[in-house]
Amino acid sequence: MSAAAPDVVGPDGGAGLPLSRRLGRALRARVRNGDLIRWLGRAGAVIPTLALAFILGTLIVKAWPAIRVNGWHFFTGSAFNEGSFYGATVKTNGIAHPPGVSYGALPEIVGTLETSAIALLIAVPVSIGAALVIVERLPRRLAVVVGMFLEMLAGIPSVIIGLWGGFTFGPFIANHIAPFIASHVPNVPGLDFLRGPTGSGQGLLTSGLILAIMIIPIIAATARDLIRQVPLLPREGAVALGMSDWECARRVTLPWVGSGIVGASVLGLGRALGETIAVAMVCGINLTTVATNLYGAMTTIAATIVTQLDGAFQDATGFALSSFAELGLVLMVITLLVNVAARLLVRRVSGTALPVGRGL
Amino acid sequence: MFPLFGAWQTAYNKTVTNVNITTAGTGSGTGIADAAAGVVTMGGSDAYLSSAEMAQNHNLLNIPLAVSAAMISYNLPGVKANLKFNGTVLAKIYSGKITTWNDPAIKALNPGVALPSTKIVTLHRSDSSGTTFIFVSYLSAQDPTDWPVGQVGTTVSWPSAPGALAELGNGGMVSGCAATKGCIAYIGTSYLTQTTAAHLGEGELANKAGKFELPTPASIQAALASFSGSTPANETQSLINTSAPTGYGIINYEYVIVNKKQSSAAVASALKAFLNWTLTTGSTATFLAPVNFQPLPASVKALSQTQISSISG
Amino acid sequence: MSGQSSASAASSASPPGSGSAGAGDTFQWPAVPVRRRIVNAGFWIACFACLAAIVIPALWLAIGIIVRAVPNFQWSVLTTDTTGLGGGLENAILGTLLIAAGVLVVAGTISLLTGLYLAEFATGRHKSVLRGGYEVLSGIPSIVLGYVGLVTLVLGLHWQFSLMAGVLTLSVLAIPYITKATESSLAQVPSSYREGAEALGLPASWALRKIVLKSALPGIVTGLLIALAIAVGETAPLLYTAGTSDANPTLALTHAPVGYLTYFVYAFAPTNQPFKSANIVSYDAALILLVMVLLIIIAGRVVISISRRNAE
Repeated sequence: MSAAAPDVVGPDGGAGLPLSRRLGRALRARVRNGDLIRWLGRAGAVIPTLALAFILGTLIVKAWPAIRVNGWHFFTGSAFNEGSFYGATVKTNGIAHPPGVSYGALPEIVGTLETSAIALLIAVPVSIGAALVIVERLPRRLAVVVGMFLEMLAGIPSVIIGLWGGFTFGPFIANHIAPFIASHVPNVPGLDFLRGPTGSGQGLLTSGLILAIMIIPIIAATARDLIRQVPLLPREGAVALGMSDWECARRVTLPWVGSGIVGASVLGLGRALGETIAVAMVCGINLTTVATNLYGAMTTIAATIVTQLDGAFQDATGFALSSFAELGLVLMVITLLVNVAARLLVRRVSGTALPVGRGL
Repeated sequence: MFPLFGAWQTAYNKTVTNVNITTAGTGSGTGIADAAAGVVTMGGSDAYLSSAEMAQNHNLLNIPLAVSAAMISYNLPGVKANLKFNGTVLAKIYSGKITTWNDPAIKALNPGVALPSTKIVTLHRSDSSGTTFIFVSYLSAQDPTDWPVGQVGTTVSWPSAPGALAELGNGGMVSGCAATKGCIAYIGTSYLTQTTAAHLGEGELANKAGKFELPTPASIQAALASFSGSTPANETQSLINTSAPTGYGIINYEYVIVNKKQSSAAVASALKAFLNWTLTTGSTATFLAPVNFQPLPASVKALSQTQISSISG
Repeated sequence: MSGQSSASAASSASPPGSGSAGAGDTFQWPAVPVRRRIVNAGFWIACFACLAAIVIPALWLAIGIIVRAVPNFQWSVLTTDTTGLGGGLENAILGTLLIAAGVLVVAGTISLLTGLYLAEFATGRHKSVLRGGYEVLSGIPSIVLGYVGLVTLVLGLHWQFSLMAGVLTLSVLAIPYITKATESSLAQVPSSYREGAEALGLPASWALRKIVLKSALPGIVTGLLIALAIAVGETAPLLYTAGTSDANPTLALTHAPVGYLTYFVYAFAPTNQPFKSANIVSYDAALILLVMVLLIIIAGRVVISISRRNAE
C-alpha cells in the first residue's frame, strides 16, 4: 500500500543501536505501515476457504464407502433400511456393513424439494404483495412497526417455530384447513393430490407452510427495499398515462425489481432446503414412502439426518454413518447449486450478494 | 428409563454432591452408541449390545439395573375393554395388512367387543429405540413369517402402513397417540400414568402359552421367573415371549451401558458408587413403583454387582 | 403531484386549470370503467391479505408461546438448574450465553480479519477466490456442519460433547454473515477518507484504525448482532457437538457437555414429552429466547440510530 513513513533516525542511520532496539523499531514501522494488519488479515481470510475445503473433504471421504455400496439405488430406492445391527456383518465391494442394508433416499430428496417448492409458491406472492402495501400504502410509522415484525420473524429461532407448529399450527391445519381443501377440491383426476385422508397435521402441507413462514421475512424485506428504490419518474409516468395501481405495479414496479426478487427468492429457497429442526418437528418423519397426497407424513434430508444420526452410531461397522455423509453430501450439492445461482442473479442487480435485509 | 434416571439423579445428588449427573432423554440407540464412542459415561438402554458391537469394543458392559415392560396403547375412545393382541395381528397391523380396527383378525381375538371401523394409524419410533427392539423381537418371536428376524433391531425399516407416523421418544409416542384417533403405539410401561391420563387403552398381549396378560407386577414377575435361571454372565438376555402361562410377553432388562475402562480412577469409583446405589437404595418401591418397573431377581442382581466391580479407571 | 398517492389519478380528479381564470366550462375526465376499479380494489385487498398473512402468524406464534409460558413462569427458573424432566433453566441460559460469547470471539475475529483483508488489501483473482470461499460456506446446511463437527471434533479429536466443538461449528455458520457485513460496510467508506489520510502523511494503520474502521463500525456491529442471533437461536449444529447438560457450564473447553436453551425447547416440547413439568420448561426456554432475540433487535436499532446521529 502506501510507502513506509520514515522512521526518525540519527545521523548514523541507526546502525549503532543494539539488535533488540533495531527489531523493535522495524516492527513498529511495519505496524504503522499496516503490514502487520495486512498479514493478519491474509491469515484470517484464508480460514473460511480452508474450512470449506475441509468440510467438503471430510464429507467426501466419509461418504465414499457408502457411495460405492449404495450406488444409484440411493437415488431411486424408497426404504431407508439401515440393515440389521444385530445380525452378522457382511461385505460388499470389500466394505463391511450390516446385513439387509438398502439405503434409498428418494423420499428424503423428494420431500426436500416438495416442501421447498410449496414454501416458495406461497412465500413469493405473499412477500411481494406485502411489500407493495408497506411501501405504497402504509403510513410511515406503521411501516416501521411492520418492519420490526419482519425482523422478529426473521430472528425467531427455528426450533420455536417448530414448537408452535407442533402444538398449535399443525392441529389447526389438520382440523380446519386440510378438510376444507380436501372437500372443496373439484373431482378432477389431476387434483388427486389435494384429496384424500387429511392426516394428523404432521405432513407435507404443514411443513411447507412452516417453511414459507420462515422464508417470507427474507424475501419481503428485500422486496420492500427494492420497491422503495424504484425511481419516481417511471411511476409518475404510469400515473400520468392513467394506469391504476395494479397496472402500474404489474407493468412498471415489478419488472423493475424482478431480478432482485428472483435473487432473494432463490436465497430463501436455499434457506428452506437446509432448514432442519422446524421441519423435523412437523413432518411426521416417514422414511419409507413419498407422501401420497398433500397431507401425508413425509420427511426431508435435513430432518432425516437430525433425527436418525444418533442411532447411526449403533452400527458397529460405521456404514450407517457413511450413508449419512452421503445424504448430507446430496443436500449440500443441491443447496450449493441454488446458492450459486442466487449470487449470480442478485449481484447483477444490486451490489450486495447477501440480502442482510432485516431492515437494519 | 429417562423418568427413572431423573428421579435417581435428584435423590443421589441430595446425598452425594460432588458428582454431576446429567440425564438426556434419547432413544436407547443413542445410549449404546454414545457409551461405545465414549462421549457419555453411562448409556441407558432397553436393548442389549449386539454381538458386532461387543466384538468391536471388548470393554463394553451391559448391566441390568431393573426390569421393565412395553405396552400396547391405542386411541379408541368408544372401546372400554382391554383389547387382546398377539404377535401375528400386531405384525400384520404394522406391515399394513390389517388396516381397520374392525378387521376379522382383531375381532377373532376379541369376541363380544364392538370394534369401530376407524382406520388404524400405526405409530413407531423415529429414533433408535430399545422399546422398538423389544417390540419387534416379540413380533418376530411370535410370527417369524410376518416379521422376519432380519427386521429386528433398535432401528427398523418399517413396512409402509397407510398413515403411519414416526414419533421421537416414548414421550412423543404418548403425545402422538393421544392426538390421533385410531392410533396404536408401543410404549414403555414407565409412561402408564401418562397414557391413562390421555385416555388411551392398554392392550393384553399373548404369551407363548397363548394366554393374554396385562403388564402387571404379577405378570412381569411370572415372566421374569421363567428366564432368570438362565442369565449368562454378561447378562445379554432376551426376556421376550415367555412360555409361563401367566407371564407378560414383552419384558426386558433396563440396561446401563458402560465402559469397563474409565478415564480415571476417580470417575471409575464415582460410577461404581452410583451404580451400586441404584441396585440397593434406588431399587426400592419409592423409585420403581412410579415408573412401573420391577427390581432385579437376586441372582441377576448378583451378576450385575459382579460386572460393576470389574469397572476400573 | 406526490409519487405516493397514485391511486386516485384515474378517477375524478380536479381538472387542470385553464388559462383564463374563472371562465369556460370545466373539463370532465372520462369515467373509469367499473371493471378496472374492481380489479384495482381487488388488487389492494389481495395485497393487504398478504400483509395479514405475515403479521397474523407472527402474532399467533408470539402470543401462543407467551400464553403458555407466562402463567407458569417463576423467577426461580432463572436461578435453578434442570433436573430430569423439570426444574429451571439456569444451566441452559449460562450455556447459551457462553456459546454465544465463544462464537463472537472466534467468528468475530476471523470474519473481521477476512472482511478487512478483502475490502482493503486484496485484489483480483486472489480476492474473488477468497470471497467465493466464504460465500459458498454460507450455503452449507446447518445439519451438515453439525455432522462434520461431530465426526471430526467430537469423535475424531476425542473432544467429546464440548463447548469448543459447539463454538467452532457455530462459528463456521456465522462467519459468512459477519464477513459480508464487514466487507460491505468497509467498502462503503468513501475513498476520499483514505486518500485524505494518505495526503496528510498519516500512517496507513493509523488511518485504518481511527478513520476507516470508525466509520464502518455500525455495519460491523450489525453483522456481529446477526451472529449473536444465530448463536442464540440455532439447534441442529449444537445437538451433536455440544450435547446437553443439567449442570452449570464450567469454562472447560473440551470433555464437558454444555446445555443450551434451544435443546430444551426441542427435547421437552409437548410433541416429544407428555410430562407437564417438561413442557413448562420448554415454553419457558422459548420465552427466554424470544426475549433475547427482541433485545438483539433493539440493540440493532440503537446502533443504527446512534450512527445516524453521528453522521450528521
